[in-house]
Formats: sequence, structure tokens, C-alpha cells
Amino acid sequence: MKKKNIWMNVNGEWHDLTVTLQDRLIDTLRDQIGLTGTKEGCGEGECGACTINLNGKAVLACLMLSVQADGAQVTTIEGLQNGTDLHPLQTAFLTESAVQCGYCTPGMIMAGHALIKQNPDPDKTTVKTCLANNLCRCTGYEQPVKAVLKAAGEMRRKIK
Amino acid sequence: MTDSYTAVGKSFQRIDGIDKVTGAAKYATDLRFENMLYAGLLRSPHAHAKVTCINTSAAEKLPGVKAVATIFDVPKVVQYWFFLRTEKKKEQMFLHDNIVRFIGDPVLAIAATSKEMLKKALSLVTVEYELLKSIQDPHTALTETKVNIHKKGNIAFKVNKEFGNVHEGFKAADIIVENTYHTSKQKHASLEPIGTCVASFQSNGKLTVYSSTQLPHWSQHYLAMALGLSLNKVRVIKPFTGGAFGGRCGVIHGLEVMCSYLSRQTLQPVKMSFTREEDFSATESRHPMTIRMKTGATKEGMITANKVEILSDTGGYGTHYIGVIADCMSTGIGLYNIPNYSFSGTVVYTNKSPCGALRGYGNPQMNFAQESQIDIIARKIGMDPMALKLKNYRREGEMDPVLNELILSNGLKECLEKGARSCGWEEKRLRQAGNDLIKKGIGLSIMLHGTGAARALPDPGSATIMINSDGTANLHTAAADEGQGNRTVLAQIASEILGIEFDNISVSETDTDITPLDCGTHGSRQAYCGGLSVRNAAMDARQKMLNHAQKYLKVEANQLIIKNGHIIEKSNPDNNISIKDLMQKIQIQDMGVCEQVIGSASGIAPAMPGYYGAVFAEVEVNTQTGRVKVIKLTSAYDVGKAINPDMVRGQIVGGGVMGIGFALTEGLQLKDGHILNPNFTDYRILRSCDIPEIEPIIVESNEPTGPFGAKGIGEGSMVNVASAISNAICHATGVRLTELSITPEQILQSIKNSR
Repeated sequence: MKKKNIWMNVNGEWHDLTVTLQDRLIDTLRDQIGLTGTKEGCGEGECGACTINLNGKAVLACLMLSVQADGAQVTTIEGLQNGTDLHPLQTAFLTESAVQCGYCTPGMIMAGHALIKQNPDPDKTTVKTCLANNLCRCTGYEQPVKAVLKAAGEMRRKIK
Repeated sequence: MTDSYTAVGKSFQRIDGIDKVTGAAKYATDLRFENMLYAGLLRSPHAHAKVTCINTSAAEKLPGVKAVATIFDVPKVVQYWFFLRTEKKKEQMFLHDNIVRFIGDPVLAIAATSKEMLKKALSLVTVEYELLKSIQDPHTALTETKVNIHKKGNIAFKVNKEFGNVHEGFKAADIIVENTYHTSKQKHASLEPIGTCVASFQSNGKLTVYSSTQLPHWSQHYLAMALGLSLNKVRVIKPFTGGAFGGRCGVIHGLEVMCSYLSRQTLQPVKMSFTREEDFSATESRHPMTIRMKTGATKEGMITANKVEILSDTGGYGTHYIGVIADCMSTGIGLYNIPNYSFSGTVVYTNKSPCGALRGYGNPQMNFAQESQIDIIARKIGMDPMALKLKNYRREGEMDPVLNELILSNGLKECLEKGARSCGWEEKRLRQAGNDLIKKGIGLSIMLHGTGAARALPDPGSATIMINSDGTANLHTAAADEGQGNRTVLAQIASEILGIEFDNISVSETDTDITPLDCGTHGSRQAYCGGLSVRNAAMDARQKMLNHAQKYLKVEANQLIIKNGHIIEKSNPDNNISIKDLMQKIQIQDMGVCEQVIGSASGIAPAMPGYYGAVFAEVEVNTQTGRVKVIKLTSAYDVGKAINPDMVRGQIVGGGVMGIGFALTEGLQLKDGHILNPNFTDYRILRSCDIPEIEPIIVESNEPTGPFGAKGIGEGSMVNVASAISNAICHATGVRLTELSITPEQILQSIKNSR
């Protein structure tokens, strides 16, 4: 199988990786780098559990080849907290009871993360539309939507 | 009273929350071990066939292939916990012979050094089948005598019960309503696909299995049986689990046995993870049912008789088919005091993917039929459906004839009253809202669901609590947490009784080597059954602490109380000792004692209390497209006591959304045994943009047998949603739908037929 060397900055650290042309980004993240916070729920781009940020945008790691991420800046759920300080999104998901089984949570948070970066003051409809890419079977979505709105408010306050 | 609690009734954050929001939580799919092999299944492309020959020689020649297990050589004893007592019914389980009974039935498993090698190896296997006639239609299964899906025939189970005399009941009725209802093959669709496990057999003869199961101890039991191992040599660890809803309550589809067998062959860890397509097409689903119901009532609104005939389709195999049909009966009869009730249920095998436990466990199907019938009667006699329900529901203090148990708590009236007030039921019900194109309606449905399975199954629960020398505690329980938050709720109960702060109580992972016997997480049982075990273990530890304190405080234990981490003399609060100081003394400082306080409890719950709920659904129906939009659900549930209100609300809202799916969008579609929608594009669960406002209302009726008055919630929250929506559609449009899921096509057709 043909292999290729790629560079990827994952959560602030550069990784020198050897991948095959078929390797999916999700497998490289999980199996090679060991970042299993990014989850696979369907492998077909339907459930959003593998949502990560790539150059600041929310992408599905199961639909992307690792070679496509050559040179990219990748942020996964493991890259959000600062030491033991949680990111406002992580805190809001806890305080708003937006987490149940937790399997969709990393994808939801990363979708919210990219959204707030593009739109620091999203309204409820915008958040609902954004999270529509992320399936959740436990919570019924109400709490995750509230959590993203709350985190956005928190982040705006911090910037001020 | 409530105000005096320090931990119970408080919405503490879940104890595993930080692990889940940081990505640190390890699910079975995340586990990797040194020398781990990847295993996968070759599945039958035929709905019904005899496997005559399996040729694996080409696959076995591949360098990375380490072990092969065909259905001819995997262990045959795969039993379910219902049958652990009886040693019967072995023939109905997976992998037991050379017949495949649905498209997707496993034929063999291969373990290889990489996923790529595994894929290649599976493609090199050839299987010869002798095709058998397949039965797809449950009605055909009932009458077909030449084709037998299982040796004993196509009828898996039959039950007939009559309470009172329905013949007399119908004679006393002024109106009789008779309809046939159909329900869909709903899927759990938990976000982590069902079926992930890693088995590791060591050369010392010990098997360790990491499995995302709901029933870790029963997994341990049947693995021991299948592999001929003693229980102390089988260790089942349940890592974090990505949702379950009953889907991990089956035999995990032979997966654990297959992985363990392959690991024993190789002495290497073996991992298998089902894909989403395998989850949809080859794991258990909700039993589709045909329910014929004849209901009689007087014009004053007394329901005099109900006659129920159910045909339930369990697919190619059965794990929960008896429990599910029994639950149809107990929830149907238990909810209303209908003096004459006959119930007949038949479960058949068909050559389709198997059915099992799914949130509600027969109740959502039964509830859809029965609550539709009650709604029709209300319309016919011109009575408010809420008034009709209030007139006929089975009250606190009455007997439940199926469980043969007194109803000790029933907050249904309060659910109805609070829900009605909050959603404006009376006003909305009277008004025919909307216009010719968009019609608005509101519908109501109520439900009863049992907590735990104390009257039906071996249903043990246990807990151990160890008090540490610094006054903190470790709670060991196998009350598997699938995401509901059991572990948090149980820590709250322990905290309340021990007087030890919530944050100072750690709860173990579920591990059969460490955590004492628990029958697992099913039947909305963990706040109640798990809660009782933890309460009793905590009371045991508490008494031991008080006994030790006597020596240092110089008063009898019965004069002592525990408050805020201190043991205090009731009449003289100045005479006290902190738990920490006491534990230091008895564990370390007092050489004559050197004892750790350990509390334990084990046993079955004293009852199977019902919990109740009322859902008010508001809908808009587009009469030109047939599209139904749910505007709002007002969902009031009597949970006895909400140990953690936020988590109870989480169950109500989440169950509500799953219920809307059951009503309007979900269900596996089959053609000749092929599942046509084994993915999230074609099998539509609701997305965030689809959800209406859901208002959860908690009612607390204080169940006397429950820990702090608690009973269940997990399953019930989805049970009566579909029926409420269907009743709302009828209120809006006048048409009655009798088939789930309710599609725009059905609505348009019904509107057309009604004109």
C-alpha cells in the first residue's frame, strides 16, 4: 500500500505522520496519535460524532482522508481545555446538563466551537441549525443548544 | 422535609461529566491493547438457509489471520438471563446450529492483525447454503406448517388471560370500539453502535471482557457457561457506553462469545466493533405488533371491557419476547381499572432481524392502541378525554391485578392537572384552531410503567461502601450507567445517608471482579433498585460508624445522628466527632480496632412500583402535504421523588424526542428480509432543527418502598408520546391513524377517505 509522509498540527503540536492514501483522518487521529475523544458513530458523515475543527472550520473526520489534512491545523476535543481549566463550551455542557451518554458530546462541542468562532453571537435558530449536523439520542437537543448559547455569551464576556 | 436534604433532590453535575466533555472517557470502541487482533463477522446474505459448507482455507493462508471460528465450532450454550433459572430455551438463541434465520445472521468470525487484513480475509471465505423458504409476514408464520424457523415451530410464545368476564362487560357497554393497530420496527440508534467488545483470554485461564453491555453480571454468567469457565475466571468490565436504550440488553448478539472464543484460540486480545450498518440491520429492534382491540364503555364514561389480541413479531431469534408481551399486558391492565379484561398474545418467529428490549418494552405499542381506543370513546360519548381518564384510572390503594400488588403511590391525577394547566388544555381542546390548510390540535395520553422487575425476573442488586480514613467514601456498584446518570444519583443517595459530602464519594466503574452482583440496567430500575441497594449499604455503614462513635462520645448509638460530616449527640450537639477523626481513630490510631467501616447490601427490591405520566401534544397538520409538525409537548411524570431533578428532566425531554420519532419518522423498512434503511439518512431520528418545545414537569408522589420515595423514569418518558401525537392529529383533522410511524401519505389518504 502506497504511503505518504504528512505534517499535521494537532492541538498545537506538530506531528510527523506516515499514512496510506486510504487512511481516514479519524483513524489517524484515534489510532496513530491516540486521540480517542473524536468518536465514530456512523462512518458515513451522517451523525457528526467525529466533528473536529480543521483550520478553524467544523469538518467530519470520517469523511476526510489524512492526506487531505497535510499541513492543516487540527483541533480535537482534547485540545480545548487549558491545563485543568475547561473551555467555556465544556463548562456550559456540564452546567446545562447537556451531556448524557457523552458519545456525541465531543462532536457537538467542536461544532459549537467552530460556530462561535465564525459567529460570536449566534441566536437560538442559528445554533439549532448548526447542531442539526450532530445526532444525539439521549438529550433531545434542548440542553446542548442552551449550552452553546451560554458558552457563546460567556466567551463574549471574556473578550470584553 | 425536602429542605433538610443535603444531596437528595439536588441537581448535582454528573460525576463522569468532566471525562465526557474533555474526551478522556474511554468507550469500548476506544480500547486498544498490545497485540490486539481485530475481529469481524461474515453474515448470511439469505433470510433462511442451511449452511452446508464453509471454506476458509484461502483466508487462513493470509499471513495476518490468526483465528477463525465458524458457526460449526463456536460454543453453543448461549442463554439469556430469563432462562438462567430454567435451563430451557437454549435452542432459540444465536449461533446454536447451522441454520441462518435472517439476513445478517453470523456465519463465521475471523481475527486478524489489522482491519485491512480482516476485510481481505472475510472476502476470501466461501459459504455454501441450501436455501430454505423464508417467512417474512408474521401472519404467515402463524399458519405455515411446512416451514419451521425453529425446531419447535414458528410460534415462540402464547399467553391468554382473562380478568372478570369480557362477554358480560361488552353487554353492559353502550358503545363498543374495535380497531386494529400496527406498530413499527423501531431501532435504538444509540450513537455508539451496539456491539463492541474486547475479549482477552490469558494463559492463566482468566478471561477479561470489556463490553458495552447493560447487563455485565449476566454477560459474565453466560460467557462462563458458553466457554465452560467458572465465574471467578470470567471478568466483565463495562467501560463508558454511548447510549443503550435496551439495545445492549440482549445477548449482544453472540459478539462477546465469539470474541472470547477467538481470544482463547490465540491468547491475544480480540476486538470487534459493529458498524452502523450492522447495528441497524443485524442487532435487535422493537417488536412490531399487530394489536386488535375491542373496548366497551357506558355513555357516562365507565369503561366496562377491553379485549386485546396481539401478534408480536420477534424476527429470527428471541431474547425478550416473553417479557415484552407480558409488559403489554401488565401496563395495559394496570393503568385503568377496567373490570373485564381479556388479553391474548402470540409471538411468532419470522426470517427478519431479531427483536429485543427497547425503551418502553412493549408498552409504547400497547399504549398507542389503548390510548387511541380511550380517545375514540371520549369523542364518541362527547366527554373530555382527560375526564374519561380521571374517571377510570387505577388509583393509589387499589390492587394491580397482574402484579398482585397494592398501588402505594400514583401521582397521575397531579400529572394531568399540572400538565393541563400548563399547556392550556381546556381552552385549546374546545377551540378548533388553524385554517383549512394548517389544522391545529392537542392530544393527551397517559401511561404506567413498572420500575424494575422484582415480580417478574431474578432481579438482584447490590452495593458496597468503604469509608476511608480521611472521611471520604468509595461506592462499589455494578449499576451500569449508560448515560442516564445512575452513578451520580447513587452517590447522592449514599451522601445523604452517610452525611459525607457528595464530592467526597467516588463511584466505581462496573467490573464483575470488584462490584457485587447486579442484574444490570433495564426496566427503569437503577434509581429505585440500585438506589435501594446503595441506601441499605449506606445505612449499614452508617450504623457501624455510630457504633464505633459510642466509645469516643460516651453515649449510646441510638442517641447519635450524622450531620455535615460529623457524628453528633442529639441532645448535646457539642459532644461530637467528625467522621474523618473517627475513621482515623478506628482505622489507624486505635491499635485495638484497626477496622475499616464497610457497608454492604444485596437483595431484590420489595416491589415493582408503577410510575405514571401524562403527555399533552400540540400539533399542526398540513392538510395538503400531510405533514405533521409537533409544536409542543407538555410532559408530566410522577417519579416518586426526583433524586436529581436535572437528570429526570433530561430523561423526560430525551424520551419525548425519541417518542416523536416513534410517532412520525422512525422504523426499519424491509423487503424480502433486506433492511432498506440501515443508515441515518434513510432511518430518520430527529435532529436539533426538528425538535419542538418540550416542557418537562416533575410530580413527586413519594413511593413508600423507594429510596427517599423514588421510582423510575427512563423508559416511561417515551411510552405515551406517539399516542398523544396521534390523538392530537385526530383532534386537528378528525382522522384516526392506526399505524406507526404516521407518514404524510397515510394522513393524506385518511383525510381523502374521510371526505
